[in-house]
Formats: sequence, structure tokens, C-alpha cells
Amino acid sequence: MYRVCYRVLGNQEDAEDAAQEAFIRAYNKLDSFQGRSKFRTWMLRLAINVSLNERGRRKGSSPEGAWPAPAPGPESELLRSEASARLYEALQLVTPNHRAAIILRDLEGLPYREVAESLEVPEGTARGWASRGRTKLKELLS
Amino acid sequence: MSIEELIPAYAAGELSDEESDRVEMALGESPRLRDELAQYERLFVLLSVAAEEEMSVPDGLEARIARQVALRAYLGAITGTVENLFGAYGRAIVYYLGLA
Repeated sequence: MYRVCYRVLGNQEDAEDAAQEAFIRAYNKLDSFQGRSKFRTWMLRLAINVSLNERGRRKGSSPEGAWPAPAPGPESELLRSEASARLYEALQLVTPNHRAAIILRDLEGLPYREVAESLEVPEGTARGWASRGRTKLKELLS
Repeated sequence: MSIEELIPAYAAGELSDEESDRVEMALGESPRLRDELAQYERLFVLLSVAAEEEMSVPDGLEARIARQVALRAYLGAITGTVENLFGAYGRAIVYYLGLA
């Protein structure tokens, strides 16, 4: 949950808040989990929704194109690598739905069926979002 | 779907045999498409590097979340009790106190 929030939001503080909010929503909505999807998928859906909402809410305070500097911590050392930093920076410029599809498919390694369930869209749409997101990322990184 | 649209999925190894054959045939005839494929392959290397990165949960986060969930559960229980005990007045009190 935390990792997905971090990948959407890009900094530790926001990711912690989003993960906390996602867990609280999960607790409050536990009765609505009907077992039609995997529990992991259901939780990821909450994490993605909370993170994207949080990102939209904070857009004004974070200039487009500037991936927030990672807070000090073990993960910041890893994200400091030039390649990852460029990737995450470019990822922020991808449309939120397309970004979510890439995070779930290419970074979390979920099959398209679960990506689609997490994003509450048909599988074909999830594939299309990932494809368009990859194309945008490729353009940004070329 | 056009060949250009199939190339990212080809680079990701997501195509059927039939679709892969189509792409490979087109790649054999087009240096531009081969260059396009090379760019996607570089992108997938970056994505796989990022995917492999360890990302530890910050110290104290699990405990903080557990406390918050327990607090919400406690407040939820109080809210329910007040509502049940005092009916409409209870709901008004809960609303007034900002617990709902």
C-alpha cells in the first residue's frame, strides 16, 4: 500500500498520509468487500484512489514537472539514481489514469485483469491506458 | 490495432504469437519501427530497474496507522452508542460534536 502511494505521490510524507487514509477507508468499508475481487486488488484500488485524489488536491503546491525530492530515508538513496529519478519525474507528467495503469502493471507487476479491477475499468481500457502511458513516457524520456 | 500501437506491448512481451509475427514482419522492413522498438526497450529497462527497487515502510508508520484505525473504530462505536441511546437527539449531538 505504502509503496503504491509513494509511486503515485513521490514523497514520503504524502505517501504516509495516503497509506494511512487508505487503511482507514479499508477498515470503514470492510463490510463492502464482497470477495468478487482479490483482497489485494481491493486494497490497491483504495490506495490508488486516495493517492490520485491527494495528488489532485496538492497539485497547486507542487509545480508540474518537478518530482518532489524524496525525503531522507532508505528509499531516497535508491530513488537518487539518475535513471529512476528521470523515470519518476516523467511519470508525473503522464495522465493520472495512465500513470496508475503503468504503476500497477509495469512497477507492481499485476496481470491486466487485476489492473483493470483495481482501476474499475474493463481490461481493454486498462491495456489502452498502459499503452498510451508507455508511449507518453517513451516520448518524455527520448 | 496499428503496428505502432502494438510495439510497446511487443516490447513488454504481451502479444499473441500471431500479433508478434505481424510486428516482426513490419520491423524487418522498417528502420523507423526498429528505432521505435529500441526506445521502448530502453523504457522497459528503466521500468524494471524501478520495479526492483526496495522500498521500506518508514519507521513507525504501521503503529501510527494501527492507532488511527483503532481510534476511528472507538469513535465509531461511541457514535453508534450515542445514536442508539438518544435517537434523533443523539444524532444531533453526534453531528454537533463533529463525530459523524
